[in-house]
Amino acid sequence: MERIAVSPRHDWKKTAEEHGFDFHSLEGDPYWDESAYYKFTLEQIEDELETAAENLEEVCFDIVDRVCGSEELMAKLAIPDEFRDYIADSWRGQEKNLYGRMDFCYDGKGPPKLYEYNADTPTSLYETSIFQWVWLEQAMERGLIPKGCDQFNSLHEKLVAAFGKLGVDSTLTFACARDSLEDKGTIEYLADCARQGGLETQSLYMDEIGVDPEGHFTDLDDVTIPWLFKLYPWEWLLREEFARNIPGSGTHFIEPAWKAILSNKGFLPLLWEKNRSHPNLLPAYFEGDPEARALGDSFVKKPLYSREGWNVEVTVKGVTHAAKDGKYGAEGHILQAYQPLPDFGGVFPMCGVWLVASEPAGMCIREDRNIVTTDDARFIPHVILD
Amino acid sequence: MKRSRYVALLAMGASALALSACGESETPAGVYTSVDQCIADKQFSEADCRKAFDVAKEEHKKVAPKYASKTDCEADFGAGKCETAPYRTSSGGSTFMPLLVGYMMGRSMGGQSAFTPQPLYRTPGGTNFRTGDNRVVTNKTGLQSVPQSTTSSAFKSTTTSRGGFGRSGSVYGSTTSSGRTGSSSGG
Repeated sequence: MERIAVSPRHDWKKTAEEHGFDFHSLEGDPYWDESAYYKFTLEQIEDELETAAENLEEVCFDIVDRVCGSEELMAKLAIPDEFRDYIADSWRGQEKNLYGRMDFCYDGKGPPKLYEYNADTPTSLYETSIFQWVWLEQAMERGLIPKGCDQFNSLHEKLVAAFGKLGVDSTLTFACARDSLEDKGTIEYLADCARQGGLETQSLYMDEIGVDPEGHFTDLDDVTIPWLFKLYPWEWLLREEFARNIPGSGTHFIEPAWKAILSNKGFLPLLWEKNRSHPNLLPAYFEGDPEARALGDSFVKKPLYSREGWNVEVTVKGVTHAAKDGKYGAEGHILQAYQPLPDFGGVFPMCGVWLVASEPAGMCIREDRNIVTTDDARFIPHVILD
Repeated sequence: MKRSRYVALLAMGASALALSACGESETPAGVYTSVDQCIADKQFSEADCRKAFDVAKEEHKKVAPKYASKTDCEADFGAGKCETAPYRTSSGGSTFMPLLVGYMMGRSMGGQSAFTPQPLYRTPGGTNFRTGDNRVVTNKTGLQSVPQSTTSSAFKSTTTSRGGFGRSGSVYGSTTSSGRTGSSSGG
């Protein structure tokens, strides 16, 4: 694993806009950064990152199964009482999942360590799947990088194939929160994949969803929504006014409700508890667990529900670094062993491995100048070259 | 090779209108007027025929068009071709719906019908089977190619309330965010 400086394509902004990638920069700073790329060996990709993701997915499913059979564990994850059966049913009924992203700390030498699993609403999908791929092809064509490079990135093909296998038997409705250009771009991209997979789609904002007198969810034409892809976290859905309609709605959700268990940070201590010798896991405990003392004076405190690094607090040798202050944390916290990201000359890359229908499908690298990767991180492309 | 052989986008950056110009796709479906007819056709197992009919009967209650008077219903579907629906009007009166005259089911995919089995209706003198929302399916029974849109489990309803989802985004997406896109639900 190496970080290599490279000339950006002179026309990359124009290319991005032509490809509908209109959130490539914000407030003047580029989010997409092709002034460097990371080079991996095929062995690093296949034997380390891909294998880790594949194996952890199985391990995770064992824990989901365990949580679904336990009121106590559901309570530990702060899953509202009235939805526990619904979530367990979605797991036992084998409702299909579409995608997720596991974030690893990886330096190319030791085993990748799982920071967290964004199993419910992962973003940076389009830039991984399409724009990174286009960069690779063009950069090789223009001689910016060696010929014969490959990329861990069959995300697009796998998404198209997966949509065709979800069993969707009506229009698939895509919904996201209003006011986020990135979320809107993500559902537009996914809807495009779904159409290529043979489905009919429509998109709307979460606040446009209605209910009918029998409790079905409806679209803006008052037609029921039998299939809904929601780029909207389960922990938010379950705490909103229409939540009570969910179990009786007859709507199939993608991601399914059991992802509420996987995307919860409380999942990390449960994983660790049952897999203490796993090479890809970091020790993690619920806050207040006496065993957490094993972490010593360096650890990371994360709220059960947290997104994009909000309210994540890092303590190194007893000194606590201020968290990016958001509104998460009311449901409790977990503590995870402090494992700093590798330092590649003042920048800290994190490897996100994507899974589609539970199979490893690609990778994105987000680089930060801070200790905690947040939504300020920049996206750096990667290549595979032996 | 570890990357996609191609990436292609249908509509991003282009007008979504281009899509509606495409011809409608068709899908195979078994169309039958009774469970016995389905079994005799031998395209589906007896168990599948029965299960699909049971589902279609349940769907029937939901998707059949509802009328406030039996006369109105019979005007559309013919004398004696309507029944009382299991719903009341808001003032407590009975509602009526056409009788189910057939059903259609999808080819089995891993033990499940490719789509939710749907009830079918027919207008007097008409030869076509129609869905609850009045889309023409086919005029023949047996294994047929039917327009994909007719196999949809969605149905026209009425909306009594909106806006019960979507508030958390504005609560958690802090205005102090220096993030690239403001409040995102992703992570």
